[in-house]
Amino acid sequence: MGPLITYELISQDTNFLLAFIIGIGFGFVLESSGFSSSRKLAGIFYGYDAVVLKVFFTAAITAMLGLLFFSLFDWIDLDLVYVNPTYLYSAIGGGVIMGAGFIMGGYCPGTSFCGASIGKIDAFVFIFGLFIGVLLFSEGYPLWEKFFNAQFLGYPKISTVLGLSDGIFAFGVILVALGMFWVADWAEKKFPQPEY
Amino acid sequence: MINTINKINKTMNPRILLALFIIPLGLIIAAVPQDTTHPYKLNASQLLTEATSSSQFLSTDAIADMIIQNDPNLQLIDVRTPDEFLKFSLPGAINVPLPDLLSPEFSDILNQDVKMNIFYSNGTLHANEAWMITTQLGYSNNYVLQGGLNYWAETIMNPTQPSSTSPDEEIAKYDFRKGASMALGGGKTESLDNGTPDIKVPVKPIIKKATKKKVQGGC
Repeated sequence: MGPLITYELISQDTNFLLAFIIGIGFGFVLESSGFSSSRKLAGIFYGYDAVVLKVFFTAAITAMLGLLFFSLFDWIDLDLVYVNPTYLYSAIGGGVIMGAGFIMGGYCPGTSFCGASIGKIDAFVFIFGLFIGVLLFSEGYPLWEKFFNAQFLGYPKISTVLGLSDGIFAFGVILVALGMFWVADWAEKKFPQPEY
Repeated sequence: MINTINKINKTMNPRILLALFIIPLGLIIAAVPQDTTHPYKLNASQLLTEATSSSQFLSTDAIADMIIQNDPNLQLIDVRTPDEFLKFSLPGAINVPLPDLLSPEFSDILNQDVKMNIFYSNGTLHANEAWMITTQLGYSNNYVLQGGLNYWAETIMNPTQPSSTSPDEEIAKYDFRKGASMALGGGKTESLDNGTPDIKVPVKPIIKKATKKKVQGGC
């Protein structure tokens, strides 16, 4: 049955409409979980607030289980679902830059727009920095083109690399996530901070 | 007392609830074997389109040419019984009897995207069955020898000589078939331009025997 767009069951316009509605839902969840405060995201690095970890891991395991069950019921063909290509060096480099930006700015791109929508000045500053970064990357592209395209590994899935079935790997991720929630709760009690 | 219970409820419940809900789901998904619910890569209408286009058929001449050229992509699959295979087979053919088509010993041979799987049987019926199943399983490069061995015998092993008034193409075709017949050790043909020695290419049929027994159910 799915993916809906690949099988042309819905048009591109319907796709945009659905994306718009889901985007609003995503923004709403971010804002109501308190992500529009930069202290929330920074908190994960100092241990006093682990909401980021909880929200995103809950989202990840929900989506993961949902997709696997959809595939089991033959509602979606996972072979047709887009998997990010892996360019090892740019993945590591991008991860480091992104992580540093998280700690310094207290936002990720999504939450910065969330903060901006309720008028947070630091969110606006963050978005400004984000655009400077985009500009630098695109204008200086010839300089890091080689690095950007190096070590192309195809479209690997961790489960395939480890030689496990998707289901067993998913179960492992669930256990790890629940374990992390437990550690996060412990850390929040250990390094308490007043809520802003 | 009630306060502490409430407090415990407040701090413990979401995580335990989540765990109670999500761990069984995870166990189910871990226990279900992958890809068993939809082993077929082509749905019925896609397969029908493939089957009706008849693009799977390769002519006897094309195959004979590939055998003589020693085409490395060629992989002839004989789907008849081992007895029939021993009596006669095409050069280099591998015997995969139709009932054993899905046995794991043959899956490496059939499921690859390097060689062309060319199925043949006496007619086209069994070869077509093999083609249909492998195609539906998503194996690539599956073909069927058009007309099967019967037509092979008719056209390659014992080509009928065209009348002298036939068009040039017919005569060229006959010459090719005659040559192929000789190269492949076929039946007797009257040579138009006598003097060519009967070249026999020594070919050894490959018998791929199923080594392991099929798994008979169990746990």
